[in-house]
Order: sequence, then structure tokens, then C-alpha cells
Amino acid sequence: MMVPLEDFLAAAVRTATPLAFAALGECVTERSGVINIGLEGSIICGALAATIVAGGVGVTGGFAAGAAAGLIVTLIFALFTVYLRADQIITGTAITLLSLGFTGLVYKAFYGATGVGLTIPTIGAVDIPLLSNIPLLGRALFSQPVVTYALYAIVPIMTWWFWRTHTGLALRAVGESPDAALAAGVRPRLVQLLAVLFGGAFAGIAGATLVLAQSGTFVENMSAGKGFIAIAIVVLGRWTPLGVTGAALLFGGASALQYLFQSLGWSNVPYQLFLALPYVLTLVVLARASGRSAAPAALARRKLTLG
Amino acid sequence: MIPDHDSNAQSTQGASAPPALALRNISKSFGDVRALHNVDLFIRPGTVHALLGENGAGKTTLMRIAFGLATADEGTIHIGQTRLSEADARAHTPANAMSLGLGMVHQHFSLVAAMTVAENIALGNRGRFTPAQVANTVREISERTGLTLDPHAQVGELSVSAQQRCEIVKALARNARVLILDEPTAVLAPDEARALLRWVRAFANEHPDHAVVLITHKLRDALAIADDVTVLRRGELVATGSAQSLTESSLADAMLGPHDRSAQLTEEVVPLIKRHTDSVGAHYVVLQADALTVHDTRGVPRVRQASFTVRSGEVVGLAAVEGSGQAELLRAVAGLLPVHSGRLHRPDDVGFVPEDRHRDALLLDASLTENFALRDAGVRRGRVPWNELAERTNVVLRDRDVRASNASVTVRTLSGGNQQKFVLARALDDAPPALVIENPTRGLDFRATAAVHTALHNARDAGIAVLFYSSDLDEVLTVADRVLVLHNGLLREVPRERDAVGRAMLGVS
Repeated sequence: MMVPLEDFLAAAVRTATPLAFAALGECVTERSGVINIGLEGSIICGALAATIVAGGVGVTGGFAAGAAAGLIVTLIFALFTVYLRADQIITGTAITLLSLGFTGLVYKAFYGATGVGLTIPTIGAVDIPLLSNIPLLGRALFSQPVVTYALYAIVPIMTWWFWRTHTGLALRAVGESPDAALAAGVRPRLVQLLAVLFGGAFAGIAGATLVLAQSGTFVENMSAGKGFIAIAIVVLGRWTPLGVTGAALLFGGASALQYLFQSLGWSNVPYQLFLALPYVLTLVVLARASGRSAAPAALARRKLTLG
Repeated sequence: MIPDHDSNAQSTQGASAPPALALRNISKSFGDVRALHNVDLFIRPGTVHALLGENGAGKTTLMRIAFGLATADEGTIHIGQTRLSEADARAHTPANAMSLGLGMVHQHFSLVAAMTVAENIALGNRGRFTPAQVANTVREISERTGLTLDPHAQVGELSVSAQQRCEIVKALARNARVLILDEPTAVLAPDEARALLRWVRAFANEHPDHAVVLITHKLRDALAIADDVTVLRRGELVATGSAQSLTESSLADAMLGPHDRSAQLTEEVVPLIKRHTDSVGAHYVVLQADALTVHDTRGVPRVRQASFTVRSGEVVGLAAVEGSGQAELLRAVAGLLPVHSGRLHRPDDVGFVPEDRHRDALLLDASLTENFALRDAGVRRGRVPWNELAERTNVVLRDRDVRASNASVTVRTLSGGNQQKFVLARALDDAPPALVIENPTRGLDFRATAAVHTALHNARDAGIAVLFYSSDLDEVLTVADRVLVLHNGLLREVPRERDAVGRAMLGVS
């Protein structure tokens, strides 16, 4: 009994890692009053860029390429939404569709229609001495790839940034009341641009994680809605880094349930049912979040300020 | 007599002293509309300077330019010793203005409701944010200035007057020497307004570098505490001089222009309307509430155990400081919010005119006929009789003196006053037994205000029971036959006297 549960927890954390990256980035973006539905596009572009670059340069280069690709994709999104004040939902949807099509095209151009049994370098799990031996939780938390460990540092830093620095204050103020921020000497557009790009880079890292820390290969549409799930995670996490990480773990757990049930021998239940779980959870979360009192008040507003 | 434009206030006291704030030859257009034309403003250090004018005269635009929130098409700005050339003035930002010692408190506060007082005050600074340190600064300023504030309170939960203190402290925390206050008394109860004006006077006297620009349309405020007065009309400077040399009537003339001289306006606007001594006769009870309790949409009780009646043929005025529960009470009477407990007797058909006509009453880009058709669109079924409606709308436009070329133009093309007259006409169209109306003249000029008040009195004289709320106490006192006061959700009737109503609004008896 112990072993399947341990496996399940380890799988939950592993699956949650890319979700947490994408959702933490989106959390910053949404705090500035912009909702980036194009997140999915940044994830898939990050995944492809990581695939291409890691083959030649190595894993670290792969992650850097992933972040850069995610950032470039959101640069287009930012240009339209932050500067031309286009509708965020429509622009984001267009970016997602464009990215999914574009990555498919580039992938075929690079590796041919047959696809590849690519040999991409991946990062394995690193055991942290002693801690990884803790029963039940040790392997889940301390026998993971380095990207997961990076989150352990990012979450407290981001929390500190939001509530204990003036840039964090400016970020939250722009998402709540751009007019008040402007009157206080903050530049709302600049804040939104940087917040959107930050979110894009993190989504790119999420995409790179899918390839370099999990599957070891690129598959068309491999982002599989993770960008949309990340947006639900931000809502469930109530726009705080710690809450978002917790929510990502919950979704990671929902995805990992299939491993648990398989190992428990529930093979008569169709596995598609478990695959659907994270998406069902997304729907439930978004439906329950109708109160949304924690949401930034100026989220998705088109007209930024009165001036 | 009003001193001439050229004899600047400068000459009255030491022309050599550099200005605290000076604007020269400021012009600004929004599209085809000329908002400001060659306006000069000279604020002497150590003084309170009242900037007067009707709505839309350009007062706020001028000060937004000084503060870097809007850019002038032409003109230069001096703040203290610093002169901004035309090019500098175009690149001017609020951050720049604040670093030069300027602070501005907007009519609609620039505060983030979801953040604490300390966070709001620190907003715009750099580096690490330490709440305890900012809280100390706030306490120190509170002690020094008497503007008390809890640094850790959530701004959205503060009273309007506390939010205003927060805005002023925010400016002082950045060492503002020159404060621009935009209609600061408009949101305050009379006692609070008096206290604020006393504070403003003391601030200007405290230090020779200090000065205050008071944007207002209340002549009484201006003359009570200002040293100098400048009047704008339709974007042009029409008078400037020391307050002693000016009288209420000369200022009113300057604000309104020569055409309105005959109207004999004084500060409160409303004497334009020939007030009927009393309602022609209140007959039978139309609206009656017994121990009425109303919750807002979040389930928070906002009106508790209210009992009142409104009879046909009377205007009952409701006075309250913002956020006292009046919005919920009016909406319950209008049938838009459910009654939580108690009894509310109301006719099925109650006309309702909400305060935000753009958001809640009109589709700006739809035609007048379409907007007219929205009245009870929720209960009608089937085909819309457009021809009939267009005819009816045209009749209403004519009868109620709504200035529009015809019923097929969009609402957006009408002036604010005509939009409001249209909303009111629509609400009154099939003579409902009762009318509920909220801040009916907000943002309207003198003439439109007078027209709306006349329409209210006509409705009353036709036997309609009118329940009327205004955030302007003087408007309540002049328009209403009886006055109810809401304080913190508790309702009581108060004699129609300024002091009694003012005290009741603050919960003091």
C-alpha cells in the first residue's frame, strides 16, 4: 500500500511542476490586470524551442530557449493588448491557435513528417541526501528534477516581492486601479508589459519542463490545455504565490490519480476517465469561483486609465 | 467690481515673491472641443487660492495639466523655483510633479480600495516596502497635522472623509508643499467640510512655502477661506483677484456669464426654481415601509428597520453621507433589491432614475426610440411596435423639452442635461404612482439642474409620490418637502433645517 501512494505523490509533484511555473507566471500577469489566454501558446512554443536547442546545446540551453520562446510569443500578445488595447480574450485565443499551428509546422520542417524518436538530453531526478529518505513524502518532495527545487525558492521570493517591495506594490495597484497607480507616479503600461513578459517566460519554462524533465520528446499539441488549466489554478490559488502552488499540486494530483488507480489494479475503469479528471476539476473551479472577490479589480479592462 | 484679467493677483502682495505654482498661456483641446484657451494662473506662496467655475469650465483639466496627468497643447508651468518649458511641460508626469512638491487630491479618489492605507501611501516609491516604517510615517504626519488615520486599515472599508484624509496624508508623505484639492467638500457632511476647510487654512498659514489650490463650485467655501480667487468659464479665465475685492454676486456673474445675470443665482443654484411653499397637498400613502431591512448583493445588511411613508403629491428627500445605505434603500423601493425583512408596501409600477445614467439607464449608441423601448422591455413579449414607439418618443421629446433633432439620433449626441431629462421623461411616461430618483443633477450645469428640479416638482404636482436622494445637502433642502436622513443604515425623519439634517447625517443628535 505504501509504495503506490508514494509513487502517486511523486507523480503528483512531477506533474504539478510545469503547471506551477505557468500558473505562477500567469499570477504575476493577472496581478497587473491582464489575463493572458495565450499562455498555452507560450507553453507549446517553449516546449518546441527547448526540444530544438537542447539537442545541440544541452539542457540548460534548452530551458533558456524555452523561456525566450515563451517571452517572444507574449511580446506579440503584449503589443496588441497593452499598447494597442485590443481585447485580451480574443488576442490570447488567436495567439494560442497560431502557436499550436506554428509549432506543428516547424516541428515537421525540422524533423520530417515521420516524427522522431528524438534523443533529447533530459534532466533526471536528483536525490537530496537524507531528506529524500523521509517516508511517504521524501521521494515526492526531495527526489525531483532541479526545476522543481527552483520552485521552492521562487514561491517565497515571489511572495516577498508582492508584499514587501515597492515594485510588488505597483504591480498589484495597476491590477486594482490603474488610475490610482498613475496618480501615484507608477507607469501602468510599463508595469503591464513587464508582467506579461514575465508570465510568458515562465510559461516557456513550463513548456521546456514538459520536454526536458518529463517526456523527453516533443509531440504536437503536447501542451494539451495546460495553459488553460494554469489560468484555473490562478483563480483557485486566489492570486497568491503560495495558493497558486497549492492549487497546482491539487491539479498535479488529479492528473497523477491514473497511476495510483492503475497500480491499485482498477484496470476495469477506463483510463480516459482519469485523463479527464484535471479538465473536470478546471470546470468545477471556474464555476465555483463566481464570487471572485480576490480577483484584481481591473482584470481584462481595455481602457486602462481616464487620462 | 471684478479686477481685470491683467491686474494679476501678483500685484496685491510683493510681486517679487516667486509663485508656489504658476501656469502661463495654457491651451488644451480635446478633438474639436476647446477645453482651455490661454489660461494664466498664479498661486502665491502661503495662500489658499480658489479656482471657481461651472461643471466643464476647465478647472479640473487645468489642474490635471499642472499635475502631469494631462498635457497642454501650449503653455508653460512653474512649480516653485522650477520652470518647465513647453517641451518639458509636455513630458511632465505625476512623478515629476510630486518630486517638485505638488500634491493633488482628486474628486474621485486615486486610492486602491483593496490595499491598506500604508500600502497606498507607499505606492510609487522604490526599493523595499516595510509596512511598519510607513505606518510610523503615517502616525508622525497624523500627529503633526491632526489628520488621524489607521495605517493598517483597508482603504475600501474607510469612510469617505477618512479616504480623503488618506489622500492628503499620501501627498504630505511625499513632502507636498502645494496641495491641489478638487471639490474636496462635495463628498463631506457639513461639519466634516468645515473641519477640512479649517485644516486647509491652517496648512497654508503654517509655512511660507505652502499653498493650496481649492477647486470648487461653491462660492461660499471659496470666499470663506481663500485669499485669491480665479474664475474660469468655458475654458477661459474671466476673473482673478483677491477674495476681499469680490462678492458672491460678482463671482456668480463671472461664473455664469452675462446672459444669466437676470437669473440672480447664488451659490446653491436652486433658487432658479420658484419654490412652491409646500406640496400642493399630500393625499394618500403610496409608499410605506415598516421595519424594512435590506441587504446589499453581498448579503451585508445596509438598511435596518427603516419605517417611513411617502404620499402622493409630495417630494421626500433623503440625505446621507455616501455609503450609508441609501443606494440599497432606493433600489428596494424601486423593486430592484429584495426586502430582507419587514414590510414594504409599493405599487407595481415605480419609476426609477439611477445616479449613473451612462451605466445604468441608457445605451449610449442606441437611438432615443430604442432607449425609450427599454422601459418595461422585460415584461413585454412579441414584436416591437417600432413606429408607434418612435411617434411616442417624439411626443415625449416635445412635451418634456428634451433637445434632440428627432427620436432616431443616438443618445450619445445629446448633452448631459438632455440625456437626464430624457431618462426622467421615460420614467414618468405612463404616470407611475411613484418615482425614485438618485442624484438627479450630478454633473449637470445650472440650467439643466433647474430643468430637472422643475420636472420633479411638476411630477409631484401631478400627484406622483417622489422619493429623492442627493449627495448635495443643499439640493435636498431646497427640493424636498420632507427630509429623511440615513446614517449607517438607520433612518429617521428630521426637520428641514440645515443644521439638524447635517448633524443627523453624521449620527449626532
